[in-house]
Amino acid sequence: MFHTLALGFTPDYVAGTAAFLASTVEFVEAFTIVLVVGLTINWRSSLVGAALAALALAVLVAIFGVTLVKVIPIEVLRLVVGIILVMFGLKWLKKAILRYSGRKAFHDEEAIYEEEMAALKARGEALPQQLNTFGVVTSFKSVLLEGLEVAFIVITFGATGSTHAITSHTDSLGSATIGAALALVMVAALGVAVRAPLARVPENTLKFVVGVMLTSFGMFWGGEGLGVNWPLSDLILLPLIAIMLVASFILVQTLRVPSATKSGAQPLPQV
Amino acid sequence: MRAVTNVILAIYNFFVGDPVILIGVALSFLVIGLLAHSVGAPAAVTGALLVVGVLISVSLALWREVHPAKH
Repeated sequence: MFHTLALGFTPDYVAGTAAFLASTVEFVEAFTIVLVVGLTINWRSSLVGAALAALALAVLVAIFGVTLVKVIPIEVLRLVVGIILVMFGLKWLKKAILRYSGRKAFHDEEAIYEEEMAALKARGEALPQQLNTFGVVTSFKSVLLEGLEVAFIVITFGATGSTHAITSHTDSLGSATIGAALALVMVAALGVAVRAPLARVPENTLKFVVGVMLTSFGMFWGGEGLGVNWPLSDLILLPLIAIMLVASFILVQTLRVPSATKSGAQPLPQV
Repeated sequence: MRAVTNVILAIYNFFVGDPVILIGVALSFLVIGLLAHSVGAPAAVTGALLVVGVLISVSLALWREVHPAKH
């Protein structure tokens, strides 16, 4: 009741959490490029590019999020979204497992920062106050590309969650959007405070958790779309998440390379 | 034509990026769809098969990544 009064709707914590975690990963990656453009070209171009991309993403979410629920029948929506979520979630999970097992290099924000910085400096000096087309486009592209995955998660969790019994009185799309927006504010605030690449954010752990969540929800919604009446109804999500977590840990242990076993999951050359 | 191919490839890479996951997940859903509608298999069985299918898909995708084909 309190939450309903404060927000104007009842929040869907699942959609909000999934969007928040996924957005944190993606915004940290986008922030590195925005920071490089800001320092090498100028902040005006960097922030204009990032703001334009954020606007484009908001429009995408608003159009597709609302349209999907109204136009597509619930069963079809659950099936399609479920299948895509499983594939999308497995893509994230596969990367995270390979990194934990030491078979793929960890995402190194500092290395990317140095690389991008060198590339942009090689282009020559830019006027400090003028809008620079290259700077705007670079910043826009990085935020848009990273943000597209966030938009996809917000739309799917928002649209499918809104049609589900467990959240029938909640606003999943609103909750997912708020989750993503909170991540954006958090990453931006951290970035302003640190003024360096956010290398300490546990990106792989977040990717692992989100991968497990997306896969589990995808199986649940996809199964429902095919007419599977899951035992325990919505509560089956807990065992599904537990199974995915245990299986993923087993896969990490099985694939772990000897050097990673001795010194933890240290970065290794990409396979 | 090339532009269309590029768009399809970009969509594929965005959502999946791995043929083993694509085929494995699609097959899993196809099988449980057939079992649920044609045979009328119990929900517990179809649900369990879906989980197994997804786990096999990710395991095979990882195995393929770790042991790439030698050409």
